[in-house]
Amino acid sequence: MKIANLEQLKEIKARGLRLTYPDKIKIMVGMATCGISAGADKVYAALSQRIAELGLDVVLTKTGCIGFCQREPLVDVIYPKQVRLTYQAMTSESATALVDALKEGRIYESQTLCRIDQEDFLVEGVVRPYANPHPPELPPEFPRYEDLPFFSKQVKISLRNCGFINPESIEEYIARGGYQALCKAVAEMTPEAVIAEVKASGLRGRGGAGFPTGLKWEFCRNAPGELKYVICNADEGDPGAFMDRGILEGDPHAVVEGMAIGAYAMGAREGYVYCRAEYPLAIDHLKTAISQAEGLGLLGEKIFGSDFSFTLKIREGAGAFVCGEETALIASIEGRVGEPRPRPPFPAQSGLWGKPTTINNVKTWSHIAPIVARGADWYASFGSGNSKGTTVFSLVGKVNNSGLVEVPLGITLREMIYDLGGGIIGDRAIKAVQTGGPSGGCIPEEFLDTPVDYDSLAALGSIMGSGGMIVMDEKDCMVDIAKYFLDFTRDESCGKCTPCREGTLRLMEMLEAITEGRGQEGDIDKLIKMSGLIKKTSLCGLGATAPNPVLTTIKYFRDEYEAHIRDHKCPAKVCKPLITFRVLEDKCNGCQLCRLRCPVEAVLGTKKEPHQIIQEKCIKCGACYDGCKFDAVVVD
Amino acid sequence: MPEEAARARTTYAEVTDEDAVAGIIATYRDEPGNLLPVMLDINRHFNWLPRPALEHISDELKVPLTEILRVASFYNAFSLTPRGKNIINVCLGTGCFVKGSPRLLERLERKLGIRHGETTEDMAFTLEVVRCIGCCALAPAIRVGEATYGRVNPDQVSKIIDSYIETASL
Ligand SMILES: Cc1cc2nc3c(=O)[nH]c(=O)nc-3n(C[C@H](O)[C@H](O)[C@H](O)COP(=O)(O)O)c2cc1C
Ligand code: SF4
Ligand code: SF4
Ligand code: SF4
Ligand code: FES
Ligand code: FES
Repeated sequence: MKIANLEQLKEIKARGLRLTYPDKIKIMVGMATCGISAGADKVYAALSQRIAELGLDVVLTKTGCIGFCQREPLVDVIYPKQVRLTYQAMTSESATALVDALKEGRIYESQTLCRIDQEDFLVEGVVRPYANPHPPELPPEFPRYEDLPFFSKQVKISLRNCGFINPESIEEYIARGGYQALCKAVAEMTPEAVIAEVKASGLRGRGGAGFPTGLKWEFCRNAPGELKYVICNADEGDPGAFMDRGILEGDPHAVVEGMAIGAYAMGAREGYVYCRAEYPLAIDHLKTAISQAEGLGLLGEKIFGSDFSFTLKIREGAGAFVCGEETALIASIEGRVGEPRPRPPFPAQSGLWGKPTTINNVKTWSHIAPIVARGADWYASFGSGNSKGTTVFSLVGKVNNSGLVEVPLGITLREMIYDLGGGIIGDRAIKAVQTGGPSGGCIPEEFLDTPVDYDSLAALGSIMGSGGMIVMDEKDCMVDIAKYFLDFTRDESCGKCTPCREGTLRLMEMLEAITEGRGQEGDIDKLIKMSGLIKKTSLCGLGATAPNPVLTTIKYFRDEYEAHIRDHKCPAKVCKPLITFRVLEDKCNGCQLCRLRCPVEAVLGTKKEPHQIIQEKCIKCGACYDGCKFDAVVVD
Repeated sequence: MPEEAARARTTYAEVTDEDAVAGIIATYRDEPGNLLPVMLDINRHFNWLPRPALEHISDELKVPLTEILRVASFYNAFSLTPRGKNIINVCLGTGCFVKGSPRLLERLERKLGIRHGETTEDMAFTLEVVRCIGCCALAPAIRVGEATYGRVNPDQVSKIIDSYIETASL
């Protein structure tokens, strides 16, 4: 069937609601990439097997990332008319126990992460309670979803459906208000009115540069030409970030709908999603979503019975970071080597195959439907100053709760790390938080009260970037981190312009020398000078921002550089040429563990006697240090 | 390019290879900008890009071989040398890097007796590094073929690899 109007959409919605909230118990397993790598597929298999064995009449389905990846595998059970409970760290055994409890008519009470009493249908602005009439009596120690610090400060707009629907079901997407915004735009709004709404919302691009989205759309709309394109940038090149993956895997229709609305507004008939090949599951879910939308007439000819037609295709990236840059991305879709070209002309004037083109990030697209449905004022009520709305971060590194979080802009770094993130692993001291990936910088502890918005992070020499947030502690060496990023940018530089190609190599070599104890007085100044040159003269953003990790680490952690250069010491004890492992005789009880673990037979010793490390043989792998249960191995 | 026209096509190792490549090219024949999708699928099919396939693409899509080779060496996904049956990707993205993935790489290099970018002599494993597979919250992560492993510690690496060796010899 092809949906031609709102009534027909509502029919599908009614069907979707029955699927999403069946009359019987529903078990949902978080099966995004993180979940699967933590063993969710085994949990799913165990659930399925036990359900079959007991002949239990329940619904078992898959869902996307609810964000709390740290606690994976996650399983949710909706007890009809009562409550929804989220279970953490599930195993095959606990999955079986869970089904057994359900068979006995009990609520399974182990491993509860939280209880969810109601769901927000964000697009429609309504709340759907589970309990009817009252939630069941549950032990008081079951926290409510909204009371968990990890969730309480989040506002989920991009992630509105992730972890709540089966991403492979368009009906479930429609159940929670999906495609109503597209219907509204096409049936009730002029393209200009859609653009005006997006402009008024204050939405800025979430792919890195933060350009106002409505303005970009207006340029493209006003550009002469019959044929125009919209592109979704799902290259997600920032190493250490997975926001776009989370959205595409968990709610692909959010992107499809956003792009269709954008295409209507800009007068485009065709679109592409450029997704990195490293995300097979995201590509798979996106493919399903596109064919389902085509099946219901939400993509294709005469959408919602109008004159508007739009088709969407997927293109896979082939593993080149620079292809995230918009002109390189276009070259790549055209089947060429992904080298950036100078702008102007901007893609809005001359983009894909020379036609006016708008490129937005996955997150940017996923904000569009809610903005159109709820209005610009609603959206702009989140966020602060020049940074309106919410954005998704992947909070990883040395925090207790790593995962995917969506927060209103303006929240402080400290809130992100200590409230959402639950502080640093092992209560160690935080050293820095890295935002913006290879284009960003390391922000030290003293600036943790800085609000997370475009301007404040830029003022510190970093950038908002696309949402990678990596927390580092006292065991991370900042010179090593700078070297790490330069190694990355040097590797990924397309080589078209000399300052970027040669400059990143020079920076990398100098950093390498410093971490190997070959640094010299004056190196820091040389690094700064070279960085300035690269920034000024590079053609594209890769080169122009590549020195940021070096500059920010020098600015905030100069003493670490000096320790490497002057004292040939690595204060964080990371840089191998500058450290030695040795055994403390008085602490070693001769358990022999280190001797057995050492890969190169560098440890000597007999049982119950203090052991000894032969420095000439030691390759500094750290296995002895990690393994010793008596803190007898030290690094200095 | 005159030498292009004169070039005779290298023969495929297996007769079926030619059909496979022809099938892939046919899928994308009418797509604008089809070079990359074709090369990606061929790269997936063979685990690398054999010379006859490149020449085949060049003839069919009318793209000079030099351009195809340039594309093949520009993008990290492509390999111009044969790769092993199991491709091991160690994530060196920032999330995994700060959680100790370089150590996993060292372990693997020692265990397999190769450096990253290389293939074991028996063609069982190719060891590669990747910059993020989107599993950062469960860092450090490695991927073997299609399977992703999260929260891997250096001691588990051996076991994971052994499980592939056993299946390989069955
Ligand atoms: C080297 C480089 C890599 C980039 N990588 C990405 C990326 O992976 N994803 C992305 O959305 N934008 C990336 N960008 C930014 C894009 O060029 C572009 O600004 C963005 O996709 C526009 O979308 P937005 O306005 O929604 O942010 C990159 C830019 C540069 C210079
Ligand atoms: S700045 Fe670097 S990545 Fe960008 S075009 Fe120049 S060489 Fe290529
Ligand atoms: S593991 Fe520790 S206690 Fe045991 S022999 Fe080694 S140094 Fe001594
Ligand atoms: S650091 Fe590694 S190589 Fe050196 S002694 Fe310890 S286990 Fe052996
Ligand atoms: S992938 Fe499952 S919660 Fe993030
Ligand atoms: S950094 Fe390793 S999976 Fe992202």
